[in-house]
Amino acid sequence: MIEGVKRAGLFEWEVPIGFVPGMRVPGRFFLSEDLGQTLEAGAVQQLANVATMPGIVGNSLAMPDIHWGYGFPIGGVAAFDMTEGVISPGGVGFDINCGVRLIASPLTGDDLAGTKRELIEEIFKAVPTGVGARSARTLSNKDLTGMMTDGVGWCVEHGFGLPSDLVHCEEQGRMEHADPDAVSAKARQRGLPQAGTLGAGNHFLEIQIAEEILDAPAAAAMGITEGQICFMIHCGSRGLGHQVCTDHLQILEKATKKYGISLPDRQLACAPVESPEGRSYFGAMACAANYAWANRQMITHEVRNVVAKTFGIADEDLPLVYDVAHNVAKYERHTVDGRERELCVHRKGATRAFGPGASDIPPVYEEIGQPVIIPGSMGTSSYLLRGTATAMERSFGSTCHGAGRVLSRTQAKKDITGKALREQLAKEGILVRAHSDSVLAEEAPGAYKPSNEVVRVVDRVGLSTLVARLEPQGVIKG
Amino acid sequence: MTFEELEHTADVLVRVRAASINELFADAARALFSVMYGPCRDAGIVQRLTVEAGDPESLLHDFLSELLFIADVENVVLCRFELDVGEGSLSAVMHGEPFDPAKHAGGTIIKGISYSGLRIVKDDETYGVDVLFDV
Repeated sequence: MIEGVKRAGLFEWEVPIGFVPGMRVPGRFFLSEDLGQTLEAGAVQQLANVATMPGIVGNSLAMPDIHWGYGFPIGGVAAFDMTEGVISPGGVGFDINCGVRLIASPLTGDDLAGTKRELIEEIFKAVPTGVGARSARTLSNKDLTGMMTDGVGWCVEHGFGLPSDLVHCEEQGRMEHADPDAVSAKARQRGLPQAGTLGAGNHFLEIQIAEEILDAPAAAAMGITEGQICFMIHCGSRGLGHQVCTDHLQILEKATKKYGISLPDRQLACAPVESPEGRSYFGAMACAANYAWANRQMITHEVRNVVAKTFGIADEDLPLVYDVAHNVAKYERHTVDGRERELCVHRKGATRAFGPGASDIPPVYEEIGQPVIIPGSMGTSSYLLRGTATAMERSFGSTCHGAGRVLSRTQAKKDITGKALREQLAKEGILVRAHSDSVLAEEAPGAYKPSNEVVRVVDRVGLSTLVARLEPQGVIKG
Repeated sequence: MTFEELEHTADVLVRVRAASINELFADAARALFSVMYGPCRDAGIVQRLTVEAGDPESLLHDFLSELLFIADVENVVLCRFELDVGEGSLSAVMHGEPFDPAKHAGGTIIKGISYSGLRIVKDDETYGVDVLFDV
């Protein structure tokens, strides 16, 4: 383990105050010995840097998929007092509400036999992907405002979804406090032609099979049975979200000086939560988050159209299991030292994992806790978990978000070519469709921490518990 | 190429070295377009841009952020940069070609330019900077 980091439990490590100058609280992260071998010193330094920010409550936290990012580490979770604390775009990232959703189906593996290649090809045609992808639809500025303020609600109103989709989505697919006036004309210009596009990089759309059920009652509540085909969509807020982050980073850079906040990294630029600058960022970020939910909803609509046409089944037979955000800041109520407080919780590469009975959970999941969806890397297992009371106590109701990289993109490309990878996956029965072989190589499974080890740690610590293992059948990469 | 990609697990970290501040900024811009779109040639597209900022690092950060915006909304890939970088501002005349999915869609989307570790250094007659692109 990195020098100065102390063991605090079987899977738990503490970064003591003093690890970097100015820390207000300790850092704490969850990791197994195996995962510890790939932990970068830079990631621990970033975790400690977050602990220096004003008004941080509890610990600066990181999940087992912790890795070196910019500003906050990826896998980072930090909560700030609403009065004394700050809000920072560096704790959310450029891809605001990058997230993932899972759609169930009545199909089984047998139904896919003979139709899988055609199905992937049809979805690839229907969902714009890759660098420079443009929406097949022409939207007005009024539509864009609707997406930013009402998120999935706008989609359902305009025929891109079912009323039940609203319920089965974090925040019901719409964050409050969205302020379109805080979103620049530039961000709008980028968002307008990109609605309903997947993007590129680590974003994907997968056809998966529920290979193993690990918690039968919870899986039943989520409508998942062994052998069932599901569809997973992983993407975010596209150029609109990137521009919102860029614009407000500039504003908050100035605010950091204005409010006399001293920081070890410029990327942590921040302002008091309740300051005009802090509120303006939150309002714009909420718009981008809503746009991302609408984006995933519009892609869902296209997937349903293709699946309905191919198999003759209704949209209602392709229900949304749940949709979770990976990069977001929220005003939430948490109990700290026996007292309930409103906090501004940042999750950067981390998933909300609210336990049974918590607020904002649809009635159908009230008893089991919210579904948590953890995407694997290309060609590896994804997992369905559920939120827990332990997460509420230990991590402000948060858990991991995915596998986490261990190899740089340059190294990954040296190790395997995209073509060789595509052929290797085809032998395993996994069909891959992408714009470029280069992106396939960059996103090779070997470039990521094993997702099974990451979810094993959160399950053992109790930050969320395993419900089902999903295996890829077909992959669409941007 | 006058930039190199360094090892970084999550994002793309490029190191740029140049004989002048103008070349440093131009090479950083070329690195950005190279990561996003791969090969590019000057085919008559011209874009002009001015940027103002309080310090050299912010100027580079804001210039590169502006290029992400231009690439996204104008559908252009730029490869030749005539720059005049001054104290607190820069002006640029930039040349390239229209975005072509068949040629350019296989690159890596850069989501933003990070301030983390962004520091322009000058030793002897060489300017240098490491820029972290969030991808």
